[in-house]
Amino acid sequence: MKLVLTLSQMSFFVFVGEYAHLNVAYIAIGNAIQTMSWNTVFSVINITGQDKWGGTLPLLLATPAPRLPVFVGRAMIHIFDGMLSVAISFAFATLLFGVNLGNANVLALVIVVFLTAFTMSGFGLLIGGFSFHFRNPMVFANIFTFILLIFCGVNFPVSSLPQVLQPISYIFPLTYGINAGRLTISGATLTDVSLQLGQMLIVGFIAMFVGYALFRLFENMARKTGRLEAE
Amino acid sequence: MPETHRVIYSAFRMAMLHWMADPQWVIPNIIAPFVFTFVALTLFAGADGSFGLYAVLGGGMMGMWGNTLYASGFAIDFERWQGTLEEVVAAPSNLLHVITGRSVSNALFGLTNMVAILLIAVFVFRVPLGLANPVLFAFSLVLTLLSVSALGLIFASSFVLTRSAQIFTNGLEFPIYVISGSMFPIALLPFWTYPASFILGPTWGIQAIRAAATSADVPLAFWSDIGIMLAITVAYVIVAALLFKLVETKSRRDGTLVQA
Repeated sequence: MKLVLTLSQMSFFVFVGEYAHLNVAYIAIGNAIQTMSWNTVFSVINITGQDKWGGTLPLLLATPAPRLPVFVGRAMIHIFDGMLSVAISFAFATLLFGVNLGNANVLALVIVVFLTAFTMSGFGLLIGGFSFHFRNPMVFANIFTFILLIFCGVNFPVSSLPQVLQPISYIFPLTYGINAGRLTISGATLTDVSLQLGQMLIVGFIAMFVGYALFRLFENMARKTGRLEAE
Repeated sequence: MPETHRVIYSAFRMAMLHWMADPQWVIPNIIAPFVFTFVALTLFAGADGSFGLYAVLGGGMMGMWGNTLYASGFAIDFERWQGTLEEVVAAPSNLLHVITGRSVSNALFGLTNMVAILLIAVFVFRVPLGLANPVLFAFSLVLTLLSVSALGLIFASSFVLTRSAQIFTNGLEFPIYVISGSMFPIALLPFWTYPASFILGPTWGIQAIRAAATSADVPLAFWSDIGIMLAITVAYVIVAALLFKLVETKSRRDGTLVQA
């Protein structure tokens, strides 16, 4: 299903771009990197939802395990899953849409993709922590996975957005990651993209810790009210 | 009221009540088409001609399709989660009639999705959407909605057999958007995808909708699109009826309804 999803999302926007006579390589690369959101945002947000459906949330919260490793650790597998999605998408972009990766600084690109997936998991944890309070995190997972297509420079530059919306773009780590990814594909080194990576890490860590704080807050509220799964 | 109609009406009413009790499910159905329309309108910004129309009508079509597919997939998973799938299948009512009632309900919600996308496009994005032939536009829209619902019936029957209907639901959403040429002419697609495009009712439906939106005197192609879509829709219903019978028999015989 990962193959179908990544290919069809990229194809959709590439064909829309082709119809509008735009640079399809730009669109294909943006979508290739954005596909990690299905893992690092959608899946991470749904972790708590799956516990609620499976009836395992009370058991998990009854354990004496320290919360931070539990909270962060369960998102970690999605980082590598997200990187796999990006790799598959780049293969599609190259083979089907003729995207040239010949000038890419491969090592820098791999590091950029890893750090983007890591920080986007932090963003997923933020929304996951927030949606812990609600009965159905899937709604938030859908919203926050899709709006990245608008704000993060996936299909068009952030500057194409209305000015009033542009600041929102910079609260998402993906905006910095896609920018850095495009630069490394053009041959930029890690030093060249260090500013974007630094900004992305700051945003990602802030998201992760705010998410953890929300998770603890709602956990304590749920314990007091006894409404762990019914919120 | 004949028994068949009563079953369809009860299933329709039940699905409506479920939606009203948990209206948050509207969001997943409408968010993807809204975002895709937003992105397409931004990509088409500055372009002349029919680009805006392609984006808006395509977005509306996606809203209908997304709703139908989600409803088909989750209708089965929802019964599984609640532990009521066995009761629904074991009831003397025909399973196809139950799912048909739900599909009609979902189609109505799908129509509201399309209207929502059109309103957002006109009032938020200021896309000029003058409908050249409103009567034929509405006519082709309703027939397309029925075609999408009939396609949903086929998926719903297949989803009874799998434990992972939700995964298929997510995975099938985008390919249909691409293959049906919802926001671009299918001529842009590789030729080997054409057979897949041609057997989809929505492919012909969106062409007819665009024709009715752009010309008061619709070309002959409009009627051929409508005719082909109707034929495909009838075929969907026949295939769905056969599949439901097959799937129901298999599930009862193997005892794999819930663990499928």
